[in-house]
Amino acid sequence: MSEVKLVNIKKVYPVIERNKNKKNVNGHRTGNLQITDEGVVAVQEFSLDIADKEFIVLVGPSGCGKSTTLRMVAGLEEITSGELYIDGEYMNDVAPKDRDIAMVFQNYALYPHMTVYQNMAYSLKIQKASREEIDRKVREAAEILDITDYLDRKPKELSGGQRQRVAIGRAIVRHPKALLMDEPLSNLDAKLRNQMRAEIIKLRERINTTFIYVTHDQTEAMTLGDRIVVMKDGYIQQIATPQEVFDHPSNLFVAGFIGTPQMNFFDAELKLRDGDYWVDVEGASVRLADEKQERLKANHVEEQAVTLGVRPEHLLLADKGIAGKVTVSELMGSSRHLHLTVHGKDVIIIVPSTGGSGNYIGSEVALSFDGSNAHVFSKATEKNLEY
Amino acid sequence: MTIANSSRSRKAKAQLFILRVLAYLFIGILVAMCLFFFVMLLLMSSKSNSQLQGAFSLKWGGHFLENLHNAWNDASTNIPRGMVNSFIVAMSSALITTYFSALTAYGIHVYEFRFKRAIFTFIMAIMMIPAQVSAVGFIQLAYKFGLTNKLWLLILPGMAAPVVFFYMKQYLESVLPLEMVEAARIDGSSEFRIFNEVVLPIMKPAVAVQMIFSFVSSWNNYFMPSLLLTKPEKRTVPIMIAMLRSADYSKFDMGKVFMFILLAILPVMLVYAVLSKSIIKGVTSGSVKG
Repeated sequence: MSEVKLVNIKKVYPVIERNKNKKNVNGHRTGNLQITDEGVVAVQEFSLDIADKEFIVLVGPSGCGKSTTLRMVAGLEEITSGELYIDGEYMNDVAPKDRDIAMVFQNYALYPHMTVYQNMAYSLKIQKASREEIDRKVREAAEILDITDYLDRKPKELSGGQRQRVAIGRAIVRHPKALLMDEPLSNLDAKLRNQMRAEIIKLRERINTTFIYVTHDQTEAMTLGDRIVVMKDGYIQQIATPQEVFDHPSNLFVAGFIGTPQMNFFDAELKLRDGDYWVDVEGASVRLADEKQERLKANHVEEQAVTLGVRPEHLLLADKGIAGKVTVSELMGSSRHLHLTVHGKDVIIIVPSTGGSGNYIGSEVALSFDGSNAHVFSKATEKNLEY
Repeated sequence: MTIANSSRSRKAKAQLFILRVLAYLFIGILVAMCLFFFVMLLLMSSKSNSQLQGAFSLKWGGHFLENLHNAWNDASTNIPRGMVNSFIVAMSSALITTYFSALTAYGIHVYEFRFKRAIFTFIMAIMMIPAQVSAVGFIQLAYKFGLTNKLWLLILPGMAAPVVFFYMKQYLESVLPLEMVEAARIDGSSEFRIFNEVVLPIMKPAVAVQMIFSFVSSWNNYFMPSLLLTKPEKRTVPIMIAMLRSADYSKFDMGKVFMFILLAILPVMLVYAVLSKSIIKGVTSGSVKG
């Protein structure tokens, strides 16, 4: 049992008086930080129930409050208001060492003067575990992470990937209630990152504990998480499974943030014809899929100007439809990304690389899409009208 | 083409050779300048008083052991006692100075608290006050409380050493990632244990440097001990050396004086030899991605 519950968590960093007067920043935003009378608001209204053994990924751009949230769970940051429960116990004022959690840092944070073995054994030594128990647990964790051969080495003698394994080893060695990871793969090169990502998936199957994972990399979020929490400016934007976030983004931000290349957006009109919803965009008119029809009807959505979102892989080359001109063509191996200009706006589509010579640049094309792949967002609130 | 190339490379090699010779020559001169005084001291301490009174010579005097015996057994000064006293004071104050300065620096570097900047400025301001100014009050205090002739009175004030604190703080800023402290907190370590087991070992090079400096300055300190230590059995080495100057002219032995000075610098060299091993670069390399 290791459930983590966050109820209406808020984090405000007090602004030092001197700076406050200088900047005169009461109650407005500078960049993506909201500054109020209390100070700089980093996280707001954060409520989340994390089930036992669930893998939760907090994802968002820099400064969205994801790391702050993780650090509040770890006890490294004070919680301004709200409640944190681990296994039903109120944890707001409990010291990090008494929370029975472990954390992996982006920059490893290994103890440089200790060997790998000593690094991993440190927490057990503090718990006054017996020498045999320490040895057994360290070797067990080293076995899982395949670092048994390096136990006598110092961190400086290891590569980046090995160091990160040691950092993970140090965290899992004492079987914590929850394993917190703060962008653990960000310092690794692309190849190693892919490899370690797969390792983490395997690790999860073997150690079977609750994971809270922070990343700004949406690929990591999509591949690792049971559920993803998308954050922006300190607020939760959407909590859902990776598939749900991809298929039904709750707002414009989530739609644009999740998916590579990012979703294309068009100015469009949502119309009701014979009781059915249609989108009129750049001369084309598409009837939305039945599933979407039902959701929009349930929400009593009226005819209005909307932002239409269609993912690059869902835009198809057609005989007629949205007219555009190809400006850039990028061969990605199995597919080709075409950059088009549609009424002055940039649009990206993905086409198979096998067809044609690939000499698309300068050609006039028409685009169509299926009604099941269209996402309609309110112009005023930027929310998905299906929700 | 090849001939031109090979002649050019021969020229470059010759240039490199000349540069190296010049560099070694320069280094050699510097080394000779540094060692000159030590060699002279060693030579002088091997000569008898009459040899020293005579013409200057670079020859080994042959009275080294005799001088050592005389100096070591000199009843009026008692150099062994003085060396023990000096060692107690210098080693203790070096340990106390470095430990507490590192602890203060750690506190200021890692923790966030009210008036942190003001406290830092205050400590830095103390650095500007000359030791002689505060010494007047300190000595009066020592006499009023009857604390003269106590060695710990020379040791304890070392605890507050703003210069050492500043050095330690700068060093911490460059080597200690806060994540390491946080990792230790999550591992379950208490704050004091984090300092002793995680932070202090990382600071080993800085501690070694400051230990050497503190030890040397405390070993050589004449000003405060001469004012606070009046009993013969409490005297430190610098006081004893100063006393030799006022010794009876008829018994004055220059060879013994040089031997005194040689003995006085030996512990300092020993401490340097031991601690300099700890001054190694890159002690934190590998801890965090840099």
